[in-house]
Amino acid sequence: MTAANDARTTEDRYRQRQEFDRATFGTHCVNCFPNDCPVYVFAKDGKVVFEEAAAVLGTIEPGVPDMNPMICQKGLAWSRQMDSPDRILHPLRRAGERGEGRWERISWDEALAETADAILDAIAEIGPEAVVLEATPEIAATIPAARFMAALGGTVLDVDATINDFWAGQQAVFGKFTFASSIDDFFHSDVLLIWHSNPAYTMIPAFHYMVEARYRGATVALISPDVSPSHSHVDYHVPVRHGTDGALALAFCQVVLAEGLADLRFASEQTDLSLLVRTDTGEYLRESQLRADGRADRFYQWHPEKGLVPADPAGLRLDFEPLLAGSLDVRLAAGGHVVVEPLLARVRRELDAHYTPELAARVREAHPDTIRMLARKVARGRTHIILGAGVAKYFHGDLMTRAMLLLLGLTGNWGKKGTGVGGWCSSLFDGHGLALAKTKAGRAGAREIYDGFRAMVGGLRAQDPTLTSELGDRALWRLVGPARGMMPPAFFWYWHAGFKERWNRPEWNDPAMTRSFDEYWKEALESGAWNQSASPPPDRPPRVLLEIGGNTLRRTRGGQGVLLERLWPQLSKIVAMDYRMSETALHADIVLPATQHHEKVALNMPTPWTMLLTMSDAAVPPAGEARGEWEVLAELCKKLAERAKARGVEDYSDRLGAAFRLDDLWSRFTLDGVFADDESAVAEMVADAVEVGNLPAGTTLETFRQQGYTRYAKWGFLALATAQASPFPEGETHAPLRDHVELGHPYPTLTRRAQFLIDHPWFREGGEDLPAHKEAPPMGGDHPFLLSGGHARWSVHAMNTTNPVLLETHRGKPFLLINDRDAAARGIRDDAPVRVWNDVGEFVVPARTSPAQRPGALTVYNGFEGFMFPGGRGHNEVEPGLVKWLHLVGNYGHLSYTPMEWQPVPFDRCIPVDVAPIQEES
Amino acid sequence: MSPVADASRAPGRQVAMVFDLNKCMGCQSCAVACKMLWTREPGEEQQWWCTVNTQPGRGAPRDWETMGGGYRDGRLVLGQEPTREEIGGGWSFNQQDVFFGGHGRAVHLEPRANGRAPAWGPNWDEDQGAGEYPNSYFFYLPRLCNHCTKPACVEACPNAAMSKRREDGIVVRDEEACRGARACIKACPYKKIYFNHVRNVSQHCIGCWPRLERGVAPACVRNCPGRLAFVGFLDDTTGPIHRLVHEWQVALPLHPEFGTEPNVFYVPPLSPHPLRADRSIDESRSRIPPAYLESLFGSRVHGVLDRLRRELESVRAGGRSELLDTLIAYEFRSLLGPFTREPAQIGATESGASESTTEAR
Repeated sequence: MTAANDARTTEDRYRQRQEFDRATFGTHCVNCFPNDCPVYVFAKDGKVVFEEAAAVLGTIEPGVPDMNPMICQKGLAWSRQMDSPDRILHPLRRAGERGEGRWERISWDEALAETADAILDAIAEIGPEAVVLEATPEIAATIPAARFMAALGGTVLDVDATINDFWAGQQAVFGKFTFASSIDDFFHSDVLLIWHSNPAYTMIPAFHYMVEARYRGATVALISPDVSPSHSHVDYHVPVRHGTDGALALAFCQVVLAEGLADLRFASEQTDLSLLVRTDTGEYLRESQLRADGRADRFYQWHPEKGLVPADPAGLRLDFEPLLAGSLDVRLAAGGHVVVEPLLARVRRELDAHYTPELAARVREAHPDTIRMLARKVARGRTHIILGAGVAKYFHGDLMTRAMLLLLGLTGNWGKKGTGVGGWCSSLFDGHGLALAKTKAGRAGAREIYDGFRAMVGGLRAQDPTLTSELGDRALWRLVGPARGMMPPAFFWYWHAGFKERWNRPEWNDPAMTRSFDEYWKEALESGAWNQSASPPPDRPPRVLLEIGGNTLRRTRGGQGVLLERLWPQLSKIVAMDYRMSETALHADIVLPATQHHEKVALNMPTPWTMLLTMSDAAVPPAGEARGEWEVLAELCKKLAERAKARGVEDYSDRLGAAFRLDDLWSRFTLDGVFADDESAVAEMVADAVEVGNLPAGTTLETFRQQGYTRYAKWGFLALATAQASPFPEGETHAPLRDHVELGHPYPTLTRRAQFLIDHPWFREGGEDLPAHKEAPPMGGDHPFLLSGGHARWSVHAMNTTNPVLLETHRGKPFLLINDRDAAARGIRDDAPVRVWNDVGEFVVPARTSPAQRPGALTVYNGFEGFMFPGGRGHNEVEPGLVKWLHLVGNYGHLSYTPMEWQPVPFDRCIPVDVAPIQEES
Repeated sequence: MSPVADASRAPGRQVAMVFDLNKCMGCQSCAVACKMLWTREPGEEQQWWCTVNTQPGRGAPRDWETMGGGYRDGRLVLGQEPTREEIGGGWSFNQQDVFFGGHGRAVHLEPRANGRAPAWGPNWDEDQGAGEYPNSYFFYLPRLCNHCTKPACVEACPNAAMSKRREDGIVVRDEEACRGARACIKACPYKKIYFNHVRNVSQHCIGCWPRLERGVAPACVRNCPGRLAFVGFLDDTTGPIHRLVHEWQVALPLHPEFGTEPNVFYVPPLSPHPLRADRSIDESRSRIPPAYLESLFGSRVHGVLDRLRRELESVRAGGRSELLDTLIAYEFRSLLGPFTREPAQIGATESGASESTTEAR
């Protein structure tokens, strides 16, 4: 910005401030909600001067508000980071200790040579698995990084576990979780339950639909422990004690059944509630128990005239009403009898025994009248549970989710517009999947992958004619997904990062475990279910950590304490590529300057929430020596080949014997130059997506530049996309799961139905074969407060936490939210520093007092970097980063690993801590 | 005729705004849009012309509601000028030390205002609110210059530097005539005028007039993801502004007792039902005390809230409400009044403006 010119008038000066000489479309390629905001980026003299919402979207469904303007305060301040003081402009090598902040500037050539040498050393000493990348939802970085790691044979840690955005409960019930409604579908709801979610913070461009639904006649209720920032515009706020949401949901279910409000036809057809279970073990009655040649994945319903009938795995439509009460005596193939009953009878019994509104009142706090009132509304209206990723971060979040889904299943509340619940999906764009897999440039290369996948699906469906198209996609994904290089980080954390000891603290874990964590671990590995994905194995420790747009140190539950102590010393080289100094970059050996979003071409996260794919253009040249990820990784390939040649190394193999060459690494990675820079890479991805019909014909990088976005032409081809299981929406809002409800298509579960019973012995032993309430285990010891969190309003994870403009929209630093009376009782003043500690660790943070915070609860919002806390360590230090032993089950039907899905994930909510004021520094 | 300013009394037309406080989620997008566009020059560090604060709360500047100004019994009153601490913001940070200074953990990133830890900021008491758990409450209040019909700042200025534009009623300052007397700051009861210590002039929200003259809506309105900010001419009888302010009379001025006849109006906020001691829900009441809302919007607020509740009951019973449909704003452009032009024509050339994006990097 130029300084004021005295010769000009006031009017001239202000007019000049909005001048630009170039306007391009842009977006912010990160993991927020709902994402894909088309923006105008205005540049002048090679610098971005302003950006704003493009607001160019049309009405999708008549009578439903359009999605404009799609923007938030972070997007509006995005360009401030381009020349912020923490911008990385040159390659750096640390000149002191890791984390000291002492650097020397080096050239790109030196930086890449050092990186290449470290990688070759690691491969020579251990193998390519010793080169580790933590995948990240910085989408412009993730795709090139994943492709590079596949070319190298390195280890990529599964992003859905490292950030923990995986809703295990949804997978347990539906066999999938990557489906979600479009945000305008909220407008159709009669009841919106905001649960484990804080949409005022985390769903900024979608929030208006919730209020607009209210103006249309919907009832909106917020269920949360605190008077959360999302409370202002709801009709009812229902406070709950942390971790008791499952009991509340089950109480709703009890009322629905007891008052005869259930949609039993829906429940019979769509769920396992009409399947028969044994009264001795609680398990399903299986064909294998009735016939010597019977299958273990065939189940039964109870026909009023015919008695036992097989439950059709191929289709859900019923031409009879299964009996849902009573019991039946059945002869077993092995001899003897067993009494069986419909699962609903067992569920009803347990609800009546433990979860009536009055009984549940002892566990959580909602008044029985409130429970009845809301249950009735849910049963009578189209209900959508706006379920946040918060639930995934509770130890028993899967139980809570299963309970909520039971409520929806009993009331016919999914697979219809205005209903349901959503998970996390970023797989609608085939260009990404094809870019990761293709081995030849051009359309033929894309066709090869796409046609190959379709042929394999065809083959699987021929073998099993009960598979629908979607189930065929999922069967293929189960086969090939785990081999695609993404590993559940649970194994890395356990074997190489010091978490084995943490996970084996029974006093922090669920008391229902009958054996040590290690015994369950051993059994899980011996089952063979994790053979492909339990990597890197104990004898292949990590040596090189690549961080490209991610931030391992900031995000790993368990904190810097354990990673710096146990993982960091094993690493010979830590290389961080980013446009800002993150916590991980601060502790790295080499820091590489990345282009910021407005300095490169990239496509955003392809989600169903807006059904848009937006593009970010290179509005201005890269600052300093910043370069894009495709370009840098291509150069690294060349450097690796060069250094390998100098050492006389030609090839190597990984732990499974797969062979990798080094001399052709560049051409394998870039496909002879196509993936050597971002513009070319994006053009290739777009052309491939058009080729396979995923994007409309005629879409090119140029049409993106003219329009800023496109809608899709059809669902992506991977199972993660076809999980939507709905007609591709034309001129209407999108609600997933419609094919199951409208067409009777089976679900990708063991029983082919939405499944509330998990009759695995571990689940039964743990009291979790059916949805139930269980108290959160004391993850961190016996302490009087519970620390929880949530995503912040002012940053998408950490990437905006140091934006100088956004820092002024709050106090410019982390804070601990504490109830005002709790604070007064402990002599804690607003804005004074406090110490928070438990058996795991401690940290120091300024307090913020409020009557909106629940007594006994503390909140630190997610995203503050360790370097923002006094002492340099943040709230992660008190989180043990426990995983749930039941998520180690890997061979029960639909409970098996596929990338970004079923796996053990770390928890960070409900951490017992204590808090006290500390002396002010003089 | 409504008791609020009738545009025919003022010389010329009046652009006005309505904020529906039932949709504001406190995201700060309006504040940041304005900040990024207009106040990034030296001397403007503390200037946030648009702020969004949690109410009840002390606001920005801190305790501005007690600082005086405006009119009493028809006479101009000069109140206080907020101190730099009370305004807050304009912080500097120690990124250089933290990332490049070689101090390791001994330093951490922290804000500094004039070398000291800040005591206030543009949104310091965010999400604290009032009441007692579990019935605590708060809502969000966006504020900016009200471009008043009786602007105390214009009358107070000893150098005749301020005026009201005829074409749209935007209150502007000729910074060449401004001598930094700061009478305007003392006169403004909303404390939405800021002093630029580098250039020795005052500054405030310019109503985005350089955008209005291009037909583009103000940055705050156009970038509100809550879709709650309406802009338009008060005398456009078919537009939502006129209907909300004059016809349905559900959009109220803030602190009408200040006497300046502001042209920014607010649909007051409903709030969730409170809980009784036994945690049952009392559906006969809302959490925000009516007296508090009356202290902000005057006694008319009660009738407005009742009206909103009746409309909600009606739509819950299956009826339609033209008022609520207007507040829904099915088409985003209905919020923008006549200012529906795009700020950029990608691929086209405007005078002094954009070039085609097919130009090479």
